[in-house]
Amino acid sequence: MTELALKKNAPPASSYLLDFWRKLQKNRMGLVGLGMLLSITLAAVFAPVISPYEPSSTADVGAGDIYQPPSAEHLFGTDDAGTDIFTNFIYGSRVSLTVGFFAAFISIVVGGVLGIVAGFFGGRWENFIMRFTDIMLVIPDLPLIVVVVALTKPSLLNIIFVIGLLGWTTTARVVRSQTLAVKSRKFVLRARAIGAGRGHIIWRHVLPLVMPILVVQAVLVVSLAVLNESTLAFLGLSDPTTVSWGQMLNYAFGRGAMSTGAWWALVAPGFGIVWVVLGLTLLGQGLEQVLNPRLDTHHLMPGRPNVGKEAEVQSGATKPVLEVRNLSIDYVSQGKAPAHAIENVSFSLKEGELLGLVGESGCGKTTLMLGLLRLLPQAGQIVNGSVFFGGKNLTMLTEEEMNAVRWSGISIIFQGAMNALNPVRTVGDQIGEAIIKHMPGYPKEKIQGRITELLDLVGIAASHKDSFPHQYSGGMRQRAMIAMALACNPSVVVADEPTTALDVMVQAQILELLAELRRKLGLAVIFVTHDLGVVAEMCDRVLVMYGGVTAEYADVDTVYNDPRHPYTQELLKAFPDLTKPKKKLSSIPGYPPRLDALPPGCRFAPRCPAVFERCRTEQPAIHAIPGGAEHVASCHLVEGVK
Amino acid sequence: MPDSGIALLSFREDILLNRFQNLIRRIGWAVLTIAFVIVLNFFLFRILPGDPARAGVHDPRLKKDAVEAIRVRFGLDKPVINCFDSLNPVKFGNCGVNPLETQFFIYVRNLFIGEMGFSYHTNRPVTEILAERLWNTVLLIGAGQILSVIIGVVFGIAAAWKARTNIDYGALTVSLLVWSLPTFWLGIILLFWGSANGFPIGGKATPGMSSMPLSVRWGDIAEHMILPTITYTLVYMGEYMLIMRSSLLDVLSEDYILTAKAKGLSTFQILRDHALKNAMLPLVTVIAINLGFTVAGAIQIESVFSWPGLGLSIFEAVNRRDFPVLQGAFLLIAVAVIAANLIADLTYTYLDPRVKME
Repeated sequence: MTELALKKNAPPASSYLLDFWRKLQKNRMGLVGLGMLLSITLAAVFAPVISPYEPSSTADVGAGDIYQPPSAEHLFGTDDAGTDIFTNFIYGSRVSLTVGFFAAFISIVVGGVLGIVAGFFGGRWENFIMRFTDIMLVIPDLPLIVVVVALTKPSLLNIIFVIGLLGWTTTARVVRSQTLAVKSRKFVLRARAIGAGRGHIIWRHVLPLVMPILVVQAVLVVSLAVLNESTLAFLGLSDPTTVSWGQMLNYAFGRGAMSTGAWWALVAPGFGIVWVVLGLTLLGQGLEQVLNPRLDTHHLMPGRPNVGKEAEVQSGATKPVLEVRNLSIDYVSQGKAPAHAIENVSFSLKEGELLGLVGESGCGKTTLMLGLLRLLPQAGQIVNGSVFFGGKNLTMLTEEEMNAVRWSGISIIFQGAMNALNPVRTVGDQIGEAIIKHMPGYPKEKIQGRITELLDLVGIAASHKDSFPHQYSGGMRQRAMIAMALACNPSVVVADEPTTALDVMVQAQILELLAELRRKLGLAVIFVTHDLGVVAEMCDRVLVMYGGVTAEYADVDTVYNDPRHPYTQELLKAFPDLTKPKKKLSSIPGYPPRLDALPPGCRFAPRCPAVFERCRTEQPAIHAIPGGAEHVASCHLVEGVK
Repeated sequence: MPDSGIALLSFREDILLNRFQNLIRRIGWAVLTIAFVIVLNFFLFRILPGDPARAGVHDPRLKKDAVEAIRVRFGLDKPVINCFDSLNPVKFGNCGVNPLETQFFIYVRNLFIGEMGFSYHTNRPVTEILAERLWNTVLLIGAGQILSVIIGVVFGIAAAWKARTNIDYGALTVSLLVWSLPTFWLGIILLFWGSANGFPIGGKATPGMSSMPLSVRWGDIAEHMILPTITYTLVYMGEYMLIMRSSLLDVLSEDYILTAKAKGLSTFQILRDHALKNAMLPLVTVIAINLGFTVAGAIQIESVFSWPGLGLSIFEAVNRRDFPVLQGAFLLIAVAVIAANLIADLTYTYLDPRVKME
């Protein structure tokens, strides 16, 4: 259902409409539709000026004038009575538009009032109105309109009322759901709290927000009314005193245009109907796009080509399982400079190692992980660097080769497994799918056993194998996700904040499970988290990221006992330490930089307590810090430290 | 949503119980709606200006006793409902009238035994006429519906998958265009073109075919069906395409599609195994809601192609002021649409494991 993106406070109603109009001006589809509609409306208004003849005038008509093909004298030819089709065409627009607009007006008023009453007052009224709407909605409307018009009199007024009074159902539904959404907004609740009358609230607060949707709905209802009117006329139910497009078609079809081959008598009126309805449809689509802007992007759109370097050879004698070297990722959007989401990040992962990836939200942790597996959204592009895994540079592989690496080599546990599992397939089925894909030789009869085994590993009873995700609790879903990640015996598992949105007890269980599985199966794990406590307890090495770059990278003891980057130091200050109970906790003021507004120098400079002049202009390089373990930090302060 | 193992255990039973309750409730609403239509249908046909008999027979020269005979024949001499001779509120009747002898009761009773009166035009029982024509409409709508759904779905998938490419824009343009075509006009244009190119000019069969072998007769009917079916398909495929496209776009931006991609599944596998079922579910509802509109299409198509279905009955009845047939055809169409809606509703609850019944 269409629902508006509502703003927090209620600005004056006029600004909504102005804003709306401004956006519509940029929408080509809507403008074309509006243009088509305006042109035919003008033609209808100025019909007497445009038309060369009187409508349906049979004066000076002779037998030879019947069904004359188009000529200079009769632009669209003549019809069965010898009258000028162009004239009738112009005058016909009057009936279509009159019926369309007036009938739609009735429908919109009735539907709008019923919808607002149902949505705003709720309770018994809502129940009654919506049940009645449901009943009216299933009764086929055209047959009912035909019956009622046939039983009464096909005068213009009757047709308008019948079409109008039977066309309000969808409007009532749409308006009701929008009213419900508006009703619970803060400013409406506030207005109620200060004792504003219901009429006032509806008029000043609800109506302005329902209006745009009503406009879209009105456009749709007008087009349906125009179609219904022309159908009625074609079926022979039209006001005989006025000429309309449907009626012209009825006469032409019933009175020999087919057999005499007078195509012009059939084409012109139909073209009129299509023009109006298409104009309205385009306008409606345009309005809809303005109200409900959606990015038409999705996960299956082809990604941008990687601009990695030529396959470098992996260096070093002891090859790590995974080695990321100078990886840079940009977000590219049309008409804007590319945003550097990840710049020059390098790290490596040994067999069985647990790497903690920490940093605030928006520091590029998830982007980095998606980049590893080449699962970036369409705007994302790897612009530099290499990812070595199993002797191959992943950035150079084709999509098919990459598919073979995914899950069987590197698997990923997404944050919020709530939506990461397909809701309409059973959990066991989704685990089995990975096995079938990546272990083609696996005996079929053993797959079910393997699924049970995996679920057992994460502590889910085999009886839940054939349940759907919605039948699982949040913690169970996260465990199921872990079981799925282990299905193909990967050598690296990426756990992207696997415990957010879970309660503390479940978090602890999941973390323990991960640590245990790592010991048991010798997995290498990249653990993405905000939680420094978890990192201290579980991880071997830590990569601290800030604003898309490496802040500091070292083993866990070094990071906790000898942090060199001010960001790491500040993060640790914000984290309680049980061994120093009197420590004062402090938070870092401000937020990580936005990708489209990165500071020119060091990305942490605006928030850094140790900032000095150089930081604001020059981005620090990644400096190695001497002393035992591999330790790097990107800060001007550590440059040249011996 | 259940959040513990205990809740999980009892969940299955809940589903069964709720499914049953849900079934009963939905059937109840369908029955209520049908009852509403029956009542509506009765009173609609009595708000006629003037006497239905006179209006129906359409001849002011008829003698008074002839009109009376017609009124008796069509049961119009009886009071409309208890206390009312007619719907004219001033004309009170005798409240002591046996309710079993009112027009309303007779109408309802007759409906239950499948009796819908006689055609003013041919004097044949309405039930017989409609029974003959119902299947032709089902045949036409069935063929058209299947084709338009298939084509709409295929193009919708292509458009969503290749979103924001020329394939997408092309499919969008075509569907908006066909959506805007008046059904009857498209039919006329196709018939005009077809009659010049060797297609039959309407009807269901070529006259004199009844003596031919069955296979020839079926072939002949199929040939007559081509143009009406194309019209139907063209008119409705646009909407299905639009809905499939937007539904699939929604699904393809879900997290579980990213999971499927991370699992190394190919694009084809993801579409087939993870996206299509989820995206088709909303379509089931739309197809059901659309049935009301497709009947409207059938009236137009059958009128243009003289296809002897319910729609043509309505067209003819309107032009001949043959009210019993109009009344019967409307009732039959309404009941069929309500029933189809019910079936689609139930199918949806059956297909989607997530549907939770309150």
